Amino acid sequence: MTVVLDQVTKSFGDVEVLKRLDVTAQDGEFLVLLGASGSGKTTALRMIAGLESTTSGRVLIGERDVTHVLPKNRDVAMVFQSYALYPHKTVAENIGYPLRVRGTPKADMDAQVRSVADQVQLSDYLARYPRQLSGGQRQRVALARAMVRRPAAFLMDEPLSNLDAKLRGHMRTELKRMQHDLGVTTVYVTHDQVEAMTLADRVAILEQGVLQQLGTPKAIYDDPANLFVAGFIGSPPMNLLDGRHEPGRFVHAGGVLATRQRATLARATLGVRPEDCRTVAAGTGVLDGRVYATELIGDHTLVTVSVGPAPAGGVASRMSADAGAMLTVKMPKDHEAAFDEPVGVAIEPETQYLFDADGARVR
Amino acid sequence: MRRPLRHPVRTPVAPPSPPLASERIDDWLDRNAGRLFILPAVLLILAFSLFPLIISGWLALSRFRISREGFELRFAGLANFDKLLDGSQQFHLLGTSTRIGATGTVLLIATAALLAWGTIAYARSGRVSALGIVGRLIAFPLFGALALMLATTVGEGGQLGSLSTTLFYVVVGVSLQFAIGTALAFTCAQRIRGRAFFRVVFFVPLMVTPVGIAYTFRMLADMSVGPFAPLWQGLGLGEFSWAADAWTARLVVVAGDSWQWIPFIFIVMLAAFESQPTDELEAAELDGAGAWRIFRDITWPSVAPVAATVVLIRIIEAFKIVDLPNVLTNGGPGIATESLTLHAFIEWRALNLGGSAAVAYLLLFVSTIACVSFFQFVVRPMREARS
Amino acid sequence: MRERRLGEMSPLAKVLVYSVLIGWSLVVLFPLYWVLITSFKLPGQVGDGPDYLPFLDFMPSLHAWRYIFVDLGADTFRPYWNSVVIASVSTVLAMLVGSCAAYALARLHFRPRLISIGLFLLALALVVTAMATTAVPWQLAVTAGLAIFALAVRALRRAPSPRLGNGDILFWIISQRILPPVVAALPIYIMFQQLGLLDTRTAIILTYTTVNMPIVVWLMYDFFVSIPVDIEESATLDGASKLRIFLEMVLPLAKPGLAATSLLVLILSWNEYLLALFLSTADAQTIPLLVAAQNATRGPQWWYMSVLIVIMILPVVALTLLLQKFIAKGLLLGAVKG
Repeated sequence: MTVVLDQVTKSFGDVEVLKRLDVTAQDGEFLVLLGASGSGKTTALRMIAGLESTTSGRVLIGERDVTHVLPKNRDVAMVFQSYALYPHKTVAENIGYPLRVRGTPKADMDAQVRSVADQVQLSDYLARYPRQLSGGQRQRVALARAMVRRPAAFLMDEPLSNLDAKLRGHMRTELKRMQHDLGVTTVYVTHDQVEAMTLADRVAILEQGVLQQLGTPKAIYDDPANLFVAGFIGSPPMNLLDGRHEPGRFVHAGGVLATRQRATLARATLGVRPEDCRTVAAGTGVLDGRVYATELIGDHTLVTVSVGPAPAGGVASRMSADAGAMLTVKMPKDHEAAFDEPVGVAIEPETQYLFDADGARVR
Repeated sequence: MRRPLRHPVRTPVAPPSPPLASERIDDWLDRNAGRLFILPAVLLILAFSLFPLIISGWLALSRFRISREGFELRFAGLANFDKLLDGSQQFHLLGTSTRIGATGTVLLIATAALLAWGTIAYARSGRVSALGIVGRLIAFPLFGALALMLATTVGEGGQLGSLSTTLFYVVVGVSLQFAIGTALAFTCAQRIRGRAFFRVVFFVPLMVTPVGIAYTFRMLADMSVGPFAPLWQGLGLGEFSWAADAWTARLVVVAGDSWQWIPFIFIVMLAAFESQPTDELEAAELDGAGAWRIFRDITWPSVAPVAATVVLIRIIEAFKIVDLPNVLTNGGPGIATESLTLHAFIEWRALNLGGSAAVAYLLLFVSTIACVSFFQFVVRPMREARS
Repeated sequence: MRERRLGEMSPLAKVLVYSVLIGWSLVVLFPLYWVLITSFKLPGQVGDGPDYLPFLDFMPSLHAWRYIFVDLGADTFRPYWNSVVIASVSTVLAMLVGSCAAYALARLHFRPRLISIGLFLLALALVVTAMATTAVPWQLAVTAGLAIFALAVRALRRAPSPRLGNGDILFWIISQRILPPVVAALPIYIMFQQLGLLDTRTAIILTYTTVNMPIVVWLMYDFFVSIPVDIEESATLDGASKLRIFLEMVLPLAKPGLAATSLLVLILSWNEYLLALFLSTADAQTIPLLVAAQNATRGPQWWYMSVLIVIMILPVVALTLLLQKFIAKGLLLGAVKG
């Protein structure tokens, strides 16, 4: 079923947490709400569930306007960050609880619980209590409980954040597969862009209650709608240079870059991804600077280049406000560079992004 | 985007059907669950607490008289209060005044200093509010008046009234109970064996009815046939009757009350001591801090809010004391051990319903101001210091 | 000097600590011991002077016990049974009403309007004045008062008014404990007299429930607040109604608190004297009244009294032993968060 947030606003007292949010999750889609803490993503999720009321706007599940429907009648299942397992009930009772509440006959209930437990590989743990399970197992119980009735939508609130890194990666894959197999519309909240990019069919990026961009991971990555999205997505993050823009040129303290945009902007920001830059011999690139540091990641090397004039007082640093910009450049793993070595940076104009003073994308 | 289902799906549970009449009742119950849950409690309090309180207020403003037809209740304004505070019953409530002696002077100076400090601290705190000012305008003069009353009646030749006696029970009693209870808890919280045994044994006095405790202590304190009789006789007190001297009688009441309530403070403070942050304690021990420093810097801050709360609970209950003075000494000698509740009870027995209600209301007034003040000035700051 | 392990006390400290604890144990147990042996003494033995050890100083006898159980028989059994019924029923009711209220205050936001409360008090004052000054029967006065209140609230529902919150309601309920029973005792006496419920167990049960319910609210509130909210939210989304969540999720998880609070309330009801004295004359008498009644004109009859005190303590001790590990945890949580 589709899940729709239609011009939803939410205020707590004087604080407006969500501002006219308009998001739709298509039937069977895996939609990720991505944002930092305080962006309103969890509030939005809870409003779909009915755990928070709307200040204005509508929530629709399928064709039904559920804005004023009680949470227990909305037919959604939620996986909480803490899993919210019932500590005094066994795994089997936890999983079967939604069925029990609906008065499902015992035989059916047992059968369905067992089948779902099989699907998440918990069949051996049905008689255990949550406190006897590991973090990963508890998470699977929470999933199983959500799966056991086929709700109109799954809602997930950072379900992987309490797992250690290795398990998290494994569960990500499992989750993606499971959602694909079940075909249930899923709205997933996270602050981790890797999770968002890998799991989502589409991503909705929220910042301070405002939707920044809604699109596929590829669209978000390759075609960010504004400065925030550009800087938020990508690891390492996109390089951002402040300067001004004249038709075809971006003027920056460290040099002038040719651009394809024709706008005239007194203040503008130029963005370019590390993988779209190369270090070249000093003087042969569009920017000149010195190597600040190099980091061997494994399959690639990151070179941080300080472009622009050396600040008064000597040592360039990321932390001084009047430093020239720092550019991160992704180079092959064998690349080597010495500290303070003068280098140039080469950038293709097609890989540049231009943003105006308000952060809007200039095409 | 539509995704085809690859795996067979289990039979889904029935989707939500259109709301039936019964479902709507269900939902209405759910939406109003909060109000329904709290309703019985509110109704009970309104019916058996608030309503009687107002009736009692009315009684306090009336004069009760037995007449030929039965009884009559005539509105008498503040006559009852006048009689208690300023009239023929003043000795009963406020006591008989005399020259202010040494104890009285100390008391007055201490109270004045405390009130002055409180006023100045508040004015400089920067968090002055209308409610705070009003509250202090009521509380501080009251404390001053109480101190004055105590100072003028406690000297030679003076006699304490029921209000002073109650204050004695509250202040001296609760202080004693807190001191002993906390000391016991601290001792029991050390690394000793048999803590569970002591915990159970120390809890027993709480389980005895106060009337029973009163009679038990009467037995124990008996100078001639009680178990300590040989001791008293050995000390030359064989002919002394504790019940005939005002102060010893009061002390016996406090002893009985303390015997019963020290366990309460003990249990709560023990639990507080047991839940101190152990890692802080271990770190301090490793650093070589002495026992006193550990207590002052780690133990006390974590325990202070609990201590404040448990003292507040005791103060609230101590104001209501009646069983012990009633049974132990019947309020005697004279009125020396009469608490305010007992005073009201005696008036009721004498069919002076208006006077009884007036005394009860005065008790309500004093205890409310005292408890709320204690909460505001002691409990709250300690809790805020903690968090 | 022997090296001490971390946290171990010096020998001197150990002696001090144990002597304090054992000393206080004697202080606690001696009076009870005295009561116990007094119950086995004859009137003459008590009057002669203190005898400390049974079989050595005096011959124990069952005289007092026989008197209480056989001679008084039904007169002992009835108050005892009254106490049992009153204490248990009022405890159950107080726990029920108090837990529901505590849960509501812990999870839901109430914002009563100050103006409505003011109107209510006004209506209440009018009702009382009407009843006191005119011959209007109380049923009419109360109904009229409620009607006036309802109309006034409806009329003024759009008027601006500051709102109170959960904290204020909680404070109001808990502050009922400050109310000395003696203030309400007489009016309650009159009320029950009008209802024809004087000297019944029902009257005492209702009164005890009202008096003890604030304690339940105070203590259980902290327990409910400490239960993670998402467990309840999860149950809601699973389809459970609020009542179901309360019964199946919240109460089971608050068991230690329920046990400790019930024990405390039970003890308070079991031992209460003043209100029982006001509200009963013969049929509904409770054990504490019977104890006090052993005070004959000749002087207290210690031996009979001792028997009664002993049989009063025993059931409570038994219950406490059963529930003892919950007591400290329960009381602490209530006291800390207060």
